[in-house]
Amino acid sequence: MSSSLDKPPTVSPVGPDYRSESQKPTATVSTPVEFDTVTVLPQTPQLIALLTMIRDKNTDRGDFIFYSNRIIRLLVEEGLNHLPTVENTVTTPVGRVYDGLSFQGKICGVSIMRAGEAMEQGLRDCCRSVRIGKILIQRDEETAQPKLFYDKLPEDIAERWVLLLDPMFATGGSAIMAVEVLKSRGVPEDRILFINLIASPEGIKNFATKFPKLRVVTAFVDQGLDEKNYICPGLGDFGDRYYTR
Amino acid sequence: MHGAANSVPPHAGTEATFTESIVLESSVDSADSTITKRAHYAPPWADVSIIGIAGSSGSGKSTLSQAIVSKLNLPWVVILSIDSFYKSLDAESSRKAFRNEYDFDAPDAIDFDVLVERLRDLKAGKRAEIPVYSFEKHARIDRTTTIYSPHVLILEGIFALYDQRVLELMDMKIFCEADADTCLSRRILRDVRDRGRDVEGIIKQWFSFVKPNFEKFVDPQRKVADIIVPRGVENRVAITMMVQFIEQKLLEKSKHHRAALTRLQKEALTEPFSNKVLLMGQTPQLRGMHSIIHDIDTSSEDFIFYFDRFTALLVEQALNNVTFASSTIVTPQGYKYAGLKSRGEVSAIILLRGGAALEAGLRRVINDCKTGRILIQSNVRTGEPELHYLALPQDINQHESVLLLDAQMSGGGSALMAVQVLVDHGVDPGRIVLATYSAGRMGLHRLTKVFPDITVVVGNLVQDVEDRWVEKRYFRC
Repeated sequence: MSSSLDKPPTVSPVGPDYRSESQKPTATVSTPVEFDTVTVLPQTPQLIALLTMIRDKNTDRGDFIFYSNRIIRLLVEEGLNHLPTVENTVTTPVGRVYDGLSFQGKICGVSIMRAGEAMEQGLRDCCRSVRIGKILIQRDEETAQPKLFYDKLPEDIAERWVLLLDPMFATGGSAIMAVEVLKSRGVPEDRILFINLIASPEGIKNFATKFPKLRVVTAFVDQGLDEKNYICPGLGDFGDRYYTR
Repeated sequence: MHGAANSVPPHAGTEATFTESIVLESSVDSADSTITKRAHYAPPWADVSIIGIAGSSGSGKSTLSQAIVSKLNLPWVVILSIDSFYKSLDAESSRKAFRNEYDFDAPDAIDFDVLVERLRDLKAGKRAEIPVYSFEKHARIDRTTTIYSPHVLILEGIFALYDQRVLELMDMKIFCEADADTCLSRRILRDVRDRGRDVEGIIKQWFSFVKPNFEKFVDPQRKVADIIVPRGVENRVAITMMVQFIEQKLLEKSKHHRAALTRLQKEALTEPFSNKVLLMGQTPQLRGMHSIIHDIDTSSEDFIFYFDRFTALLVEQALNNVTFASSTIVTPQGYKYAGLKSRGEVSAIILLRGGAALEAGLRRVINDCKTGRILIQSNVRTGEPELHYLALPQDINQHESVLLLDAQMSGGGSALMAVQVLVDHGVDPGRIVLATYSAGRMGLHRLTKVFPDITVVVGNLVQDVEDRWVEKRYFRC
């Protein structure tokens, strides 16, 4: 199962272009993926440092929340780039003309409970008063399969772009179920953006095969899954670290 | 703090130095081995003018200096009293001092070596720590006063014109004259009121030290003076003359400063930006935010919301240019991850007023960032940038990186001055990252020509010099 763990992690010097390779410190960066629908945030030194902070088991809850919020905001900002726009020329306070853009289409967030709810603050930091639906999916004790327990979604969700929120993208079991729910409410696959912090190559492959038009935005694709299907190296249980630990 | 010691004076030889101040020199850029030309910028405080005012104790030197300073009423004219440079006394001398038997009125009591060192620092545009002398304790106290960036410094004290090395640094030498009765009566009043002495002791000191020393050391200074001023502060003609002299010096400095900025501008426009000038990408989100921020019809609520959202990204981008080191950590599952961590402390300097609009964005990224502030304003008449206020973190020279934040940089004059201030406080230009919401081409060229090692992160590049509309919108006034 965990064949991807046999390959060595991708290590690269990280830093701005004007620095020579020898001036850049090396770090493990995101594993390359081959799907056009998957966007991985640029592997900047600051992003790697933020991820290092939240992965570290010694990071306390306050710092974990602050630094993961910073990454989530970057993810949301990147996700929003996939929304449609129209040209929009405006006049500035000093009378200059600025050729800009304005956004088309309504959006909403849908968080997969409970860890996905931790991403709502970051979403609201970028989109005030955004509508946010919730989906609760848990593992069925008998079948070991994910099962839908609860959902509450905007009524007009079929007319909206959906930012699906779940920080850890391991096998993608719950995310696949969440997408099925959204599709059953009339949301076309190509209007769903799945936003997560850390993904596994296995989850991405599963997803891209099943939903070829759905876009995924992640900060980092990890090396793989271990025998317990935890993302490796991962960061532990996101919901626990954000909410209770 | 800037101008903390409230003092004043001007200086000679300025013309030659200032016109020569923008010199192009070649240096080899080690990164890509191309020859780059580096321009030099001399801030208006780089060649402080120094005016010396000497005279007998009680002759009215400090009243005269204060009259000049209050007449000029400019933060970059400061007074420095030679009294600050009294030597700390050893136990024996200290006992003598308390018995009024120590000779404070001989040149030996003054630490001229330290004085000369500090004056040379100021002359070089550097920051100078001025000792604080306690007349009650007859010793220097732990605290120092900082003088930084005066354009004119008035050095006042009985031996202001005594040391040859000090004389060489001066632009104007004044000797204050008053008759001995006046001097003695003023001295009694002052020492009782301000220095905790008793009348008997003061009179004893006067006849055993002050008077003989006056004849021996103080009075001969009139030979080197340019001007001898009788009747001190009552001498309106003399004060007006000195004020005019200083105003003339200030005007020359301002002219040269502006001319230097103009010259930089002409030289700069011909070359492409260095690779350390980074423009934020033109993604749909960023362009969309720019549109809302630029639109004159946007509500204040929206303006502030989108501006804060944008500046948080700007600061994130700026932070990619601080220095990092490899760091391996262990995750809760016990896996190792080879990541990065910042090499050291990152602080921010807000370039007031515009830079304060970026503070909300800054706090979203570094919530407890140490933050300094610099107020530079353009003179309404001449357009010359002027440094009005400065409050920097004490240990700024040890910070790994310093972010300099401004909302709009058009001509680049204030950014240049701000970077110069940081450099004067021991910050290596390679550690400075300037982040600005918008920047004009000319300003960017000007700045990076003088300081090629700084990194500049720009939200939006504009062609021309623009009115500072962003801060007006953000602060709504």
